[in-house]
Amino acid sequence: MELVVRRGDREERVRVRRHDGGYEVAIGDRTYQIDALPARAGLQSLRIDGAQHEVAVRPQGEGKYWVSTAQGGGPVEVLDPLAHLAAQSASKGGKRRQRVDAYMPGRVVAVLVEEGAVVTTGQGIVVLEAMKMENEIRAEHDGTIGKIHVQPGQAVDTGNPLFELE
Amino acid sequence: MADHVPRKRIRKVLIANRGEIAVRILRGLHEMGIRGAVIYSEPDRLGLPVLLADEAWPIGPAPSRESYLRGEAIVELAVKIGADAIHPGYGFLSERAGFARLCRDAGITFIGPSPEAIDAMGSKVESRRLMIAAGVPVVPGGKDPLPDLDAAAAAAETIGYPVMLKAAAGGGGKGMRMIPSASELPSSYRAARSEAAASFGDDSVYLEKYIENPRHVEIQVMGDLHGRVVSLGERECSLQRRHQKVVEEAPSSVVGPDLRRRMGEAAVKAAAAVGYSNAGTCEFLLDRNGDFYFLEMNTRLQVEHPVTELVTGIDLVQAQIRVAEGEPLGPEFDDVQPNGHAVEVRLYAEDPWQRFAPSPGRIEMLRWPDGPGVRVDAGVYEGSEVSIYYDPMLAKLIVWAADRERALNRLDRALSELRVEGIRTTVPLFKALLADPDFRSGNLDIGMLDRKLAAGELHPVADASDSNELADLPLIAAVLAHHDLAHRQTATGPATPAASHRSRWGTAGRRGAVRGGSWS
Repeated sequence: MELVVRRGDREERVRVRRHDGGYEVAIGDRTYQIDALPARAGLQSLRIDGAQHEVAVRPQGEGKYWVSTAQGGGPVEVLDPLAHLAAQSASKGGKRRQRVDAYMPGRVVAVLVEEGAVVTTGQGIVVLEAMKMENEIRAEHDGTIGKIHVQPGQAVDTGNPLFELE
Repeated sequence: MADHVPRKRIRKVLIANRGEIAVRILRGLHEMGIRGAVIYSEPDRLGLPVLLADEAWPIGPAPSRESYLRGEAIVELAVKIGADAIHPGYGFLSERAGFARLCRDAGITFIGPSPEAIDAMGSKVESRRLMIAAGVPVVPGGKDPLPDLDAAAAAAETIGYPVMLKAAAGGGGKGMRMIPSASELPSSYRAARSEAAASFGDDSVYLEKYIENPRHVEIQVMGDLHGRVVSLGERECSLQRRHQKVVEEAPSSVVGPDLRRRMGEAAVKAAAAVGYSNAGTCEFLLDRNGDFYFLEMNTRLQVEHPVTELVTGIDLVQAQIRVAEGEPLGPEFDDVQPNGHAVEVRLYAEDPWQRFAPSPGRIEMLRWPDGPGVRVDAGVYEGSEVSIYYDPMLAKLIVWAADRERALNRLDRALSELRVEGIRTTVPLFKALLADPDFRSGNLDIGMLDRKLAAGELHPVADASDSNELADLPLIAAVLAHHDLAHRQTATGPATPAASHRSRWGTAGRRGAVRGGSWS
């Protein structure tokens, strides 16, 4: 299986093959022979040339995973190369459109802009409150605010859409 | 002090708290054969304290003021269920003299100091006056406004340079000026007054001793009802983020036997000045010359009490209960000296790399560290919901070893064994601190953590890794999970039509299989 993997700024083409003893994974010019076994749901023991790594992987939908190793955790995205190609050509032609979701459950304290507002990178759009702390959700890039999905006082769950940024 | 203190056996205690401290108190009670009752708010019905308690009583809905802060209802409950005493833990009602009075009036023993002692230490102005009278060192200076430059110059000479000029109406660092020497006083004085007038509409200023990069060192004291107060040594709590302690140690690496004795004596004097009994903590600023200044007294058990327990061998919760029963402090409280070194980290449900954004949610996986010298005081378990209503501290991880170096190595090891999945925690911050040379060498002050965070000097330890294999590991893990999910979907079809992302993996898997050749 050929896949495209993204982690932070890094994007790699990866090939993965299952065989009797485990997996073969090729990333760039590096090929790994891997013995992978689940210790329990969500927790894998990976042996790579004898070196053991305990890794937790949580699927978060649409090819997104939260991966925790001994070095810490972070998001990793896995894409089918065809879908990746389609997404790339779409983004070249059209505007960049992004839906921003709540990354934690909480309550909307304030909506700082109106639909159609022109905003700049870092500008506060929505203020979320959780655990007695207020957190400003900011624009990740310059653009125009599309639909705003929430209003002040509303409770939101992780993954609920907050607003669109075009 | 009363010499004929009535002895009162405590057989049942109501814990007016939640989370890890409620669990900690239950453990102390159970080891003494005392029944432990807890209160819980609606979202805490399945909290760890409830599961470990002998009795659990609902106290109201989630917001604290409608549950854990309902002093009268809590005292009524204690009477109703026949509890002999209430342990307030820390936070919530623990330092409210009014609550201690309610307990006393209802004939319930409040496990803590008298309401009068809480009151005396609760007021900044009153406690400062009492401490000066008792001969406890406080930060030199005064809140009295300085009418003119001559008065300011005289005050500065008395205090000794460097001094800090502060706006009386200011706060939070606003309107403050450090003055290193007499020659800079006139211009700073004039500027500070006009600045204060412009910012606060009040041009009053006062002077305090400027203490450069002090440490926060606090002394644990314990007093009985027979008038005896002892020091149990210091805790180093300089690592703070926005005035919140993050890492605590005992002993402090800069406190030797002589300073420990002097700080201990000052703390005992401070406690004795208000007739203090039970567990309490005197907080001091400690400067580079070894001079120390009383800040305030916390009239309760502290979050960081375990580091003192580990280096003294004294169970502070059990000592609190014996003192509350009227027992005098035993011989184990004579001349207590620290043995070895203990370090505590506060594990919060916050993402240290996203400006400490809270991370509530379900704890999907949890494995605590174990083995030699490791203690975990937790308020959660695997499957717990970390709610948005309360302080996001999940647990305290505390280690003990023969010396500081070994204790830090043990902490590093324990953090590597720890697994928390489903929410983000402050573990990566502790890993980064363990890799920081200043932290490692014990070169601490109360501003250090905020400075390092602001300067971006603390970052994920993984970034330092130059190993290809380790850098590829998260990619490999995600790809294997994706591959397996795709193949499971190809074999059986999506489990439910609603799981749309799963069916997409299925599509990816089938495409891969058709095209892939030997690369399945």
